[in-house]
Amino acid sequence: MGSASDSSTRSSRERVDAEAGGGDDLVPAVEVSHLVKRYGSLVAVDDVSFTINEGEIFGIIGRNGAGKTTTVECISGLRAPDSGSISVFGLSPEKDRDKIREFVGVQLQESALPPRLRVGEAVELFASFYSDPLDPSEVLESLGIEQIASTAFKKLSGGQKQRLSIALALVGNPKLAILDELTTGLDPEARRGTWALIERMRDRGVTVILVTHFMDEAENLCDRIAMIHQGQLRALDTPEAIAALAGVSKVRFVPSQPVTDDVLYAVSGVHSVDRKGPLINVMGAGDLAASLMHALTQRGVEMQDLESRRGNLEDAFIKMTRDAEPAEPEEAQ
Amino acid sequence: MTGPSLGGVFSARSRTQIAAMLKVQAKLSLREPHALGVGVGLPAVLLVVFGLISNNVSGNVAGTGLSVIDLYVPTLMVVSFVAIAISLPNMLVRDREIGWLRRISTTPVHPSRLLAVQLLVNLMLAAVAIVIIVVGGDVIFGAPLSVSIPYFVLSLVLGIAEIFSLGLVVVALAPNQTVSQTIGGVLFFALLFLSGLWVQPVQVAVPLREIMWYSPAGAASRALLYSVFHVAPPVQTLLALVGYTVVFSYVATRYFRWE
Repeated sequence: MGSASDSSTRSSRERVDAEAGGGDDLVPAVEVSHLVKRYGSLVAVDDVSFTINEGEIFGIIGRNGAGKTTTVECISGLRAPDSGSISVFGLSPEKDRDKIREFVGVQLQESALPPRLRVGEAVELFASFYSDPLDPSEVLESLGIEQIASTAFKKLSGGQKQRLSIALALVGNPKLAILDELTTGLDPEARRGTWALIERMRDRGVTVILVTHFMDEAENLCDRIAMIHQGQLRALDTPEAIAALAGVSKVRFVPSQPVTDDVLYAVSGVHSVDRKGPLINVMGAGDLAASLMHALTQRGVEMQDLESRRGNLEDAFIKMTRDAEPAEPEEAQ
Repeated sequence: MTGPSLGGVFSARSRTQIAAMLKVQAKLSLREPHALGVGVGLPAVLLVVFGLISNNVSGNVAGTGLSVIDLYVPTLMVVSFVAIAISLPNMLVRDREIGWLRRISTTPVHPSRLLAVQLLVNLMLAAVAIVIIVVGGDVIFGAPLSVSIPYFVLSLVLGIAEIFSLGLVVVALAPNQTVSQTIGGVLFFALLFLSGLWVQPVQVAVPLREIMWYSPAGAASRALLYSVFHVAPPVQTLLALVGYTVVFSYVATRYFRWE
């Protein structure tokens, strides 16, 4: 609880370290550096760089047509970058495409199966493609779709199709799973169910790249997020840190001793102070709770009943993508 | 990694992959019985029709010593191949359009292997059609097929290669299912006509007869017809078949897209 860090980037590192199981050197699962991809005159991805650590859920968010799908297609080897380099567990998706396909499971946006292919058949077929697959029936069971193993694809509900899609991405026993717009078109309950599956995937040690335009999804699931807008990387951090960039945080507390408004306004980032009885509501920018705590502790004031709420990822997203409004290019296929 | 053991592992894996795909594609072909229904059902129906005509028309058509059923055996086979080949785009263009081929391409298996397996399934259907026509003609209509085996086999191989590669041209060029079905439909009836289903080339006047003889379907029928007469198919006909196969294969591979 007590680790208030002054740099949000550092805190994300620490968090990932902790989740990777105790401070060992991190193996980068994916390294993207200065990736550029053009479709004719349209620059779909413009000098994007990021590193994905092994075992994390890495979100790529952005509007439709922002270049998210193109980025992951380059990582999975479906497209060749125009310039820049990509390394997936030390291999090049272009040169070592055959090797990479063995351990990268991909779920494609809007990819369907032959309508009469049955769930079990599809998963068994995909298992046969890999050298060290998981047991198809266990995969079906873990996704809770073993009872529809003999159902044809065309008869599946949206949620069942997504589960099947995850099953196909998983059955090859991948080290990296790329999930593109996995929950689009699902009802809220099915979405929650899918989120749980993705977390379980990560718990098994699979590194997950999650492409989404749902901010709540990214906020809930992702350890770190790359926000892409018009082909450019706009932010790369934990969801909390990016949300903080939106500028608005709300902190509510009861001081152990009376404090004046002046003291509070003197704290960097504080925009407004509002009192309701003993309760003080402070709104402002940055890591507000930490800054307040730091300032008040020096004065011997404790913050009791502390409640801190950041502006959420959606606020940050809207703020960061609003500047450049002109014509949204459609996601080129 | 040692070469030989890697090679051994690879081929064993390849076999597993191909067996699994063959199983699935065969099942799908049975569940989407377009190829099966049209490729095997249509010739069976036509066999009955021409068999009945044959029974009412005295044998020895036009002094050939052959009955109607004998004369139409080559055409019926070509009709089967055409029907099976034209069903190829239905499945493959659909699989491409819905992103299935692309999905496969993210696995260690290249979608070309899926295509190969699909061709294999269609080849089996063609074999079934041949058996139905040969056995049906013999058992039901007492028209045992007496052919020159080398010429017959040569004509079958060239004819199937040519007509299937034409099917792949449609797969390669059609951007979506609507277009592939339209092209396929027009092509289907054009090829049925050219194969001699309505009128045999020998029954029509010169310019049309030549067109039929050297058309993709007509050339295949003609090569088969010669082998029924125990005569070597004309070199021009064989060259036409080879030429078409080369051109169609080139166009199909040149313009083929997996996504």
